[in-house]
Amino acid sequence: MKIKQLMRHSETYVLLIVILFSAFVTSVNPAFLTLENLFDLLRSSSGTAILAVGIFMVLLSGGVDVSSTTIAIVGQYISVNVLISTGIDNIFFAFAISIALGLSLGAINAVFVSLFKLPTLIVTLGTSSLYHGAMLEFVGTRAVNVGGLPQSIKDFGSLNVLEVARPDGSTFGLSVFFVILVAVLLLSWFILKYTMIGRGIYAIGGNLEAAKRAGFNTRRIQFFVYMYSGLLAGIMGVMHLSLIRYSNPNYLVGTELGVIAAVVLGGARISGGSGTLTGTMIGVALITILEKNLIMIGLSSYWQQFFVGLVLVMGVSITYLQAKLQKSGRQIIVKEEE
Amino acid sequence: MNQLLSKLVKLQFKESKNKYLLIIMVLVILTMTVLMPSQFLSGSNIQSMAGQFPEFGFLALAMMLAMITGGIDLSVVATANFTGVVAALILNKATTAGVAPTVSITGAIIAVIAVSIVCGLANGSLIAFIGVPPILATLGTQGLFLGLATVLTEGYSIGGFPLEFMTVGNGTIIGIPIPFILFVVGAFVVALLLNRTQQGFNMYMIGSNPTVSRYSGVNNSKVIMKTYVVTALLAGVASIIMISRANSMRPGYGSAYLLQAILVVVLGGADPDGGFGNIPGLLMAIVTLQVTQSGLNIMAFSPFFRKFMWGFALLLVMAINFIAQWYSDYKRVKKMRAQSASAAEVVS
Amino acid sequence: MSDVFLEAKNISKTFVGVKALDNVDLTIGKGEIHCLIGENGSGKSTLIKIIGGVYRADSGTISIDGTELHGTQAIQSIRAGVQIIYQDLSLFPNLTVAENISVNQMLESNQQTVNWKSVRETARRALAEIGEDIDIDERVENLSVAKKQIIAISRALTQNAKLIIMDEATSAITSEEVKHLFSIIMQLKERGIAILFVSHKLSEVFEIAENITIIRDGKLVGVYPKEDLNEEKLTYIMTGRTLKFEPYRYDESLQAETPLLEVKNLSKKGQYRNINFKLQRGEILGVIGLIGSGRTEVVQSIFGLDASDSGSVYIDGTEVEIKNPRDGMRYGIAMLPEDRLTQGLFEAQSIGDNIVITVLKKFLKKAHLLDIRNKRQAEADWVEKLAIKTPTPDNPVNSLSGGNQQRVVLAKWLATDPKVFILDGPTIGIDIGSKHTIHEIIRDLARQGMGIIMISDEAQEILDNCNRVLVMANGQVVREIEDSTTISRDELLDVIAQRQVAGAEA
Repeated sequence: MKIKQLMRHSETYVLLIVILFSAFVTSVNPAFLTLENLFDLLRSSSGTAILAVGIFMVLLSGGVDVSSTTIAIVGQYISVNVLISTGIDNIFFAFAISIALGLSLGAINAVFVSLFKLPTLIVTLGTSSLYHGAMLEFVGTRAVNVGGLPQSIKDFGSLNVLEVARPDGSTFGLSVFFVILVAVLLLSWFILKYTMIGRGIYAIGGNLEAAKRAGFNTRRIQFFVYMYSGLLAGIMGVMHLSLIRYSNPNYLVGTELGVIAAVVLGGARISGGSGTLTGTMIGVALITILEKNLIMIGLSSYWQQFFVGLVLVMGVSITYLQAKLQKSGRQIIVKEEE
Repeated sequence: MNQLLSKLVKLQFKESKNKYLLIIMVLVILTMTVLMPSQFLSGSNIQSMAGQFPEFGFLALAMMLAMITGGIDLSVVATANFTGVVAALILNKATTAGVAPTVSITGAIIAVIAVSIVCGLANGSLIAFIGVPPILATLGTQGLFLGLATVLTEGYSIGGFPLEFMTVGNGTIIGIPIPFILFVVGAFVVALLLNRTQQGFNMYMIGSNPTVSRYSGVNNSKVIMKTYVVTALLAGVASIIMISRANSMRPGYGSAYLLQAILVVVLGGADPDGGFGNIPGLLMAIVTLQVTQSGLNIMAFSPFFRKFMWGFALLLVMAINFIAQWYSDYKRVKKMRAQSASAAEVVS
Repeated sequence: MSDVFLEAKNISKTFVGVKALDNVDLTIGKGEIHCLIGENGSGKSTLIKIIGGVYRADSGTISIDGTELHGTQAIQSIRAGVQIIYQDLSLFPNLTVAENISVNQMLESNQQTVNWKSVRETARRALAEIGEDIDIDERVENLSVAKKQIIAISRALTQNAKLIIMDEATSAITSEEVKHLFSIIMQLKERGIAILFVSHKLSEVFEIAENITIIRDGKLVGVYPKEDLNEEKLTYIMTGRTLKFEPYRYDESLQAETPLLEVKNLSKKGQYRNINFKLQRGEILGVIGLIGSGRTEVVQSIFGLDASDSGSVYIDGTEVEIKNPRDGMRYGIAMLPEDRLTQGLFEAQSIGDNIVITVLKKFLKKAHLLDIRNKRQAEADWVEKLAIKTPTPDNPVNSLSGGNQQRVVLAKWLATDPKVFILDGPTIGIDIGSKHTIHEIIRDLARQGMGIIMISDEAQEILDNCNRVLVMANGQVVREIEDSTTISRDELLDVIAQRQVAGAEA
């Protein structure tokens, strides 16, 4: 009985695909399924996963946010420049700045979406351009390379919570990034399941009019969701910086569609109101494996975008085809008379 | 003559939004003219403006068609990239192989048409037959097409086209840039499609309410399919202009156009939910934006400020649209109640 | 200690230059079942929203249980015990039954966190109060309309409701479900909860109401105890005239050897079975059988919207295959759909465009281009022919009243010059005066030789306008009445009720 229930959820299918694909990659290149590789994957994808959580929650509320990656890079670039110019070499300071920016930019998104009731895709397209243009114009365009990077950021990037020794004595470890991801997941799960604001997000995604009538403060909920998404983007921005040790103000922008693809593949409905954190993580896992490991099976990185697109197209095709076939007319005849 | 003029005026203002647009457009042109008369109104500037926007204009036309049907085509730029890369490769390989320019150019154009149609069919099938929401379908195909373009070029930019081909993008006829002429023809054809064909009529209706159109005997799938094939073809035309002007093509070229296309379509009066949109409005919007961009350029604003400006402009326009729509609804309802009340009085 | 629970006096409200309510009164006693009757556009929705605190009246007073209401705080009305169940039920399809039922209480208690145990308890208790048993973990979107209604009522009960307002509660449920709903309403009454039942379905109103308030065009027409009214009196009160007309008589001279339309053994799994009937030129064939009988599904299949699984359809003796509406139209079939707003009209588009969409091909000149002048001429012609009240065909359809909107739909299909015209609920939500005019139009069409199939919920409408009647239940034709003059309205109602019950018992 439980298996039947599982079968109804699209997350199950995506998980299956992840497992199958991993098996396939491992068969071609056994180096895939090693602890070291797994830890490495977790380290490099935790940031994206956190971003995906934010996008997922906006999607739940019935909106589509394409400005998250821009907020992330703005948070990152400005915070690193502030650290450098003020000389304060503190990772918490970096996070504080980035998070503050994320919250503010998210709030601006919320203003346009909730006050003017404008279509969210177009609003966030506009704000994304606005934020990025403003940053490039008023802050600068020079990249910060590893040489100019504050030490605390570099240290943070190599911080591990768990160390494993290799045969030759060197170590690899589970990055602190993963811990942050887990913390974000727990917090988000709690908010969505156990707080009224969280339930409000589901409510406005399911039926905005009903939510208003029931007495939900829809404006407050929308502000929360976009600011929370901005907050997560801010966190991701600094994490990303620690990861690649390079701050190019033109990075990240344009990659949001891939993250949205991951969230959608994880089972979240584009129309809102439906989806799970688990599914989102599975979706991110799928996209990550695709993006990072094509090299492992010998395909050049040029195929990356194509495959992500292909997977998305196939994924949504299956989902919507399924829905179409299920949609038969109302059942009128309850009992068949002999 | 008077009749013709009044007909033209009526056509223009069929949508009430066009009135505001005209005012905005004139204001912007005047501002630029006043701020830097010699540079802005110079022959070279006008020629350069007229040459710059057509490649974008075709993309905007494509986007508007998709939005009229209540959808969106996030893959237009990717389609242009893909078809452009294919054409570029053909031209490049053919030129190095010593093939005559007329042959290679014809071949390239045929290839663009063919590839565009395939791309359009892909989008159309996903949306019309499988029922995938346009935003998701074109999100996916965007990756597919761009990915294919990347694979074909391995990230490099392709060049080496026959000289004759360059004239398409850079040549002029009696001083008017060829791309501009192409765009005028294109806009005219699309206007014809929208206002004078069954396909166009049905596109508006499907955008308004696809259930009602189905109940009314419209073949929704066919109309949607044709829509996305046409958008892809328009993207294909854009790509020819692009590669001819730049004398090269690389995947990722024109990515900024996507946002701008949506901006211009919305500014031009199309409803993102579908059912409305017209050529005069779109043209005025394009002109307004082109003039603004050109002006900012002359005033030596950086491209980053422009990016900031696009975002700002889009948001401002939507906010104004929202308020204007609310206001015109208010006035219209008031007027109509008064009219039907007086009509009722006459009857009873 | 007065017996009055709600007293609204001299309520007036103006929107955008239109007076929606003009000095309307409404009085509801404790535990009373009160019905509010008014056609669409009469102002009843506005009145409900004012009582619920969603809108604020321009003038007048409302007192609930002795206390006067101030301002537009929906929460005030809710605290006073007023619960509104809107026609669309205002539920969250993506959430569970438990959460939907408890959500109002959760919001009212101003809590920040969710205690799922108490959410489930609240839901279970509310359902038990009315003796219902629904899986509280089921997602609401998977449930039938009737079950959703029960959930909406349960939700209303979680907040100590003393007055529950039900807006058009019976428009989308079967007759069995209506009976069930009424039994719940009686239960609530016994517990001292008053019900304001808003409807335009007269037969149901008479079944359940104790007192009836009638409003028309924003004005109060009167308040009557049920005993003082019947359908004829009501018609007179609502339209100001006694509408008398002859029942439709079939012109036998139009009968031909081969019927215009013949349907044999039409079946579709889960929807209808073994449908057989003939239709002659000049006939108006009525199809009655309350919602859920399969009648709309049958005609939709004939028209081509949802093809049948088996069986055959003959037009003028020739068998035809109809797989989509275009096929249906090609064979001369037209269908006026059940819900004109979501199936029949493009609300925001012009009246003219709405009319010509079905026959656009007629205006194509050479090179597939439209002849705009001809198109606009045709639009104007149809507006005139059907007396659609509008200054110009360029106005959007949503500027018209319900009756006029229906005429646009009629025009759109008459333009196709059909042989068979199917009308699914042609007078739903239309004021009585316009109803009469539309009936006249339909009869004229039949007299000119068109074959008409008319589906309706109202037995009287069927008997007055159709010469032959098919009664459907549970997806089958259970009775064919050859001559509608041979049966009375009450007898017809019995037939429908009996068959429905019989089907359920089997």
